[in-house]
Amino acid sequence: MLKDEVRTRSYMNAIVQNKHLFKDKVVLDVGCGTAILSMFAVKAGAKHVIGVDMSTIIFKAKEIVKVNRMEDKITLIQGKMEEIELPFPKVDIIISEWMGYFLLYESMLDTVLYARDKYLEKDGLIFPDKATIFVCGIEDGDYKDEKIGCKCHKPVFNANTCSQHLVWDNVYGFDYSPLKETALSEPLVDTVEVKAAVTDPASVITLDLYTCTTADLAFSIPFSLKCRRDDFVHALVAWFDIDFTACHKPIRFSTGPHTKYTHWKQTVFYIKEVLTVQQDEEITCNLVVKPNEKNRRDLDIEIDYKLETQDPNRQANGSCTYKMC
Amino acid sequence: MATLSKSDRLVTDNPPSDSESDDSRDDEGWKDVEEDEEETPEVISLLDDRVFPDVISMLAHCKEKHNFDFLAVRQKLQLDFHGCVKLVNFNFFCVHLTPLRQKPMLSANIPSVRQRVHEGLPVSENISLANIDDDAYLKPVLDDDAVIIGLFDLPELSVPGAIQPGQDGDNAALVNDLLKRNTELQEQLASVMLQHENYRAAVSKTLDARWGETGADDNAKIADDAAGKGKAKDGADEKEDESKYYWESYAGVDIHETMLKDTVRTDAYRDFIYNNKHLFAGKTVLDIGCGTGMYYFILRLPSLASPPITNNFKGILSMFCARAGAARVIAVDASDIILKARENIYRAGLVDTITTLHGKMEEVTLPVDQVDIIVSEWMGYCLLFEAMLPSVLYARDKYLAPGGLMVPSHTNMWVAPVSDPVWVSENGETFWADVYGFDMSAMAKGIYDEVRVLHWPGDKVCGTSSAFKMLDLYTTSAADLSFTAPYVSKLSQDVDALDGFLIWFDTFFSPTAPSAGQNKELDKHGVPDDAIATEWILDSHGKRDQDRVAFTTGPFGGAETHWKQGLLLCDPHLGEKKEGEKSKEDDGNATETKTQQKKKDEEVRGEITFSVAEDNARALVIKATWDAGKTQQSWALR
Repeated sequence: MLKDEVRTRSYMNAIVQNKHLFKDKVVLDVGCGTAILSMFAVKAGAKHVIGVDMSTIIFKAKEIVKVNRMEDKITLIQGKMEEIELPFPKVDIIISEWMGYFLLYESMLDTVLYARDKYLEKDGLIFPDKATIFVCGIEDGDYKDEKIGCKCHKPVFNANTCSQHLVWDNVYGFDYSPLKETALSEPLVDTVEVKAAVTDPASVITLDLYTCTTADLAFSIPFSLKCRRDDFVHALVAWFDIDFTACHKPIRFSTGPHTKYTHWKQTVFYIKEVLTVQQDEEITCNLVVKPNEKNRRDLDIEIDYKLETQDPNRQANGSCTYKMC
Repeated sequence: MATLSKSDRLVTDNPPSDSESDDSRDDEGWKDVEEDEEETPEVISLLDDRVFPDVISMLAHCKEKHNFDFLAVRQKLQLDFHGCVKLVNFNFFCVHLTPLRQKPMLSANIPSVRQRVHEGLPVSENISLANIDDDAYLKPVLDDDAVIIGLFDLPELSVPGAIQPGQDGDNAALVNDLLKRNTELQEQLASVMLQHENYRAAVSKTLDARWGETGADDNAKIADDAAGKGKAKDGADEKEDESKYYWESYAGVDIHETMLKDTVRTDAYRDFIYNNKHLFAGKTVLDIGCGTGMYYFILRLPSLASPPITNNFKGILSMFCARAGAARVIAVDASDIILKARENIYRAGLVDTITTLHGKMEEVTLPVDQVDIIVSEWMGYCLLFEAMLPSVLYARDKYLAPGGLMVPSHTNMWVAPVSDPVWVSENGETFWADVYGFDMSAMAKGIYDEVRVLHWPGDKVCGTSSAFKMLDLYTTSAADLSFTAPYVSKLSQDVDALDGFLIWFDTFFSPTAPSAGQNKELDKHGVPDDAIATEWILDSHGKRDQDRVAFTTGPFGGAETHWKQGLLLCDPHLGEKKEGEKSKEDDGNATETKTQQKKKDEEVRGEITFSVAEDNARALVIKATWDAGKTQQSWALR
């Protein structure tokens, strides 16, 4: 987190620039890691901060808090939010950096929602409090060449997604190409250049952290992508924006292709066919996201797309399933 | 015709695999516990995504819908079986693959064909022999075995003016020969396809297993590894068992990175074994720790950090040996993984050749008294961390026949000084000293105490490389694995400070076992103590010598490997701490502890010590001395 400038700076500004909100408040830092957000909150005048993390990083955090002379202001607890007992029955503010790849993959949002329901005072604040997933269509072109250097975050086994993986066809004399068909595709976490975008971005879903429930983390939402130019569409790319609306001056940061690099990069979903689109045409899509039934950490994702045009040869209609695991 | 009946069997035996097909396996003593997939044989249309039960109806569809008459094209171009395969694959390339999957050399014809298909125009007139005249089209493109196998079912090609056997006395013998050869080739092809089919079944089953039974435990582990977020996660249970820990430590490697980098290793084993088939023909081979070598395959599979599937591709080194003509291969592995290797070996049809033994090398009883060759992929980080070498040496002493072959035969360890002030400022203690106004130095604790395993850029190495330990696996003993050895490096540039040392190793595969009394100097395949992998593989004319195989895990030019390199980061405070102690010494230089600048061509020399950590037998401790032994520091790899 600390080396991701966009992220850390946004959190810092959201907290430190809003001393009027933090002054004398009890703050809960969910998944506190090295406790940097907790320390920001102390700097912003919080009465007390409770940092909670499962990981043994909490021992480092304790050292850090002590070195920075904040041990009387920050209580660090190792454990699961669902199992631990807080020294305060209620908190005024919840701060958390919970977002995962594609916003929801391995995110801690459910833990934040649990903490909200159990500990947040009525009219308490959540930093951040809004998260929006965006999608646009991209032309692949040179992108695949970049992939040969392969900065893919995850193993990608569908040759569609990475030319490096053409290897499926001949693995030491054994042909593994059936895997390409058998396997569900895995989305690719990587950076996309904004010039690759063929369509306008569509905002697919906004999660309001004050009101949403864990049930809302599984959804099926239609959206449409308006094409900006005549081009081909090889893939859809998704990213998210994060809002701190409680701030005096609202703070937002984006993880999209149009802005500064973040460690979340973007998430690329290659589709089976290449769409040939013309300017102002619309691709109607539907995005289904749900936690895998067998393993709640994994995400099952389905994208339906449909291109209706006057030209029957360019019409396309398909459905792709992906799994982030 | 033999080929037809074989392909028929393939089609009828493999249908939506129900319990029937399992039974047939049981008959051969194979108990398959996982088989439960549902797979329908499908023939995907050459020109669109429709699916048919057989090739004939698919081709009828292509003819009717797309005006593409496969049989007519075949007739027109007089395609033999391979030609048909190419034609099929050409169509798949054209129609089914996105441009991403095309190799540039194949893509030239594709847009027009795809365009025509999309426009509903007939494509057959577009295809000429030249279009498909590329052996690349012999490689399967899609899940298309059903189509290609189905090609056997097509009516015979009528050959205009074909010479019938017996038509002409002189030609009859020749024609008979050709026909016989043709039949043989077709049989070979069918057998290869059968193997492929077996693999395919194994692979898809593996995936089913993966998706069907992902244990929460495995995923928790992956989750913990992922992103290093240091967040609250459901922790994976601590495993007490040592061997389990061993496998878990593999799971921690960034799997995708590893995937791309592991070809170096397996390629080396494959090249050596296949280039030296004469050495393996008829021999008895022992494959120790057959698990790890297969890691390569694992990495070709998706999301395989978890052992259940990881294990499913074990035994590659054994299989290489068997294919190279070994009479018998004995594969030994202590982990349960070998049970999976057994399955792979069965699938590959090598069950008669390869015997798997489940247990520690030191404890199992081999079915033979001696083996001719020992193959093992035992190397660990910094060569010796968690390496299986002691087991290999044990097996060598107990089982290797006189004159027997060790594969690999030698490893050489290297050290070089490094300097990269930018990296140090971004990763060292200065970064953590002020993070958004907070002192987070606690995060930097230990960075000078532990070996960091990473890819270090070759241009940040600031001096010559020094080979400090050659292990000749024919003579090395377990006691040799703790050692102190001198090194010397000449700086290639001025540096403000020595930031650390980089450690890596080269692995050599010599095809010649040392025979008693033979002068080592005369051995054409001898490996000198300062052998460099990238140079040793060249002959005296600087050309690649096919007999020699070697690879490096170093930072210079070679492909990256999953071993990366080991970085020993020098503690910049070392001088300060030692100041009092050092000032007692007479040498005037010792007092200038603050000045760490060094000039180009200056020599850095000292000793490297490898030893086992006192508190943890699994951990490796590396000590380096420099400045003529006046400065020393230790790092642990655990």
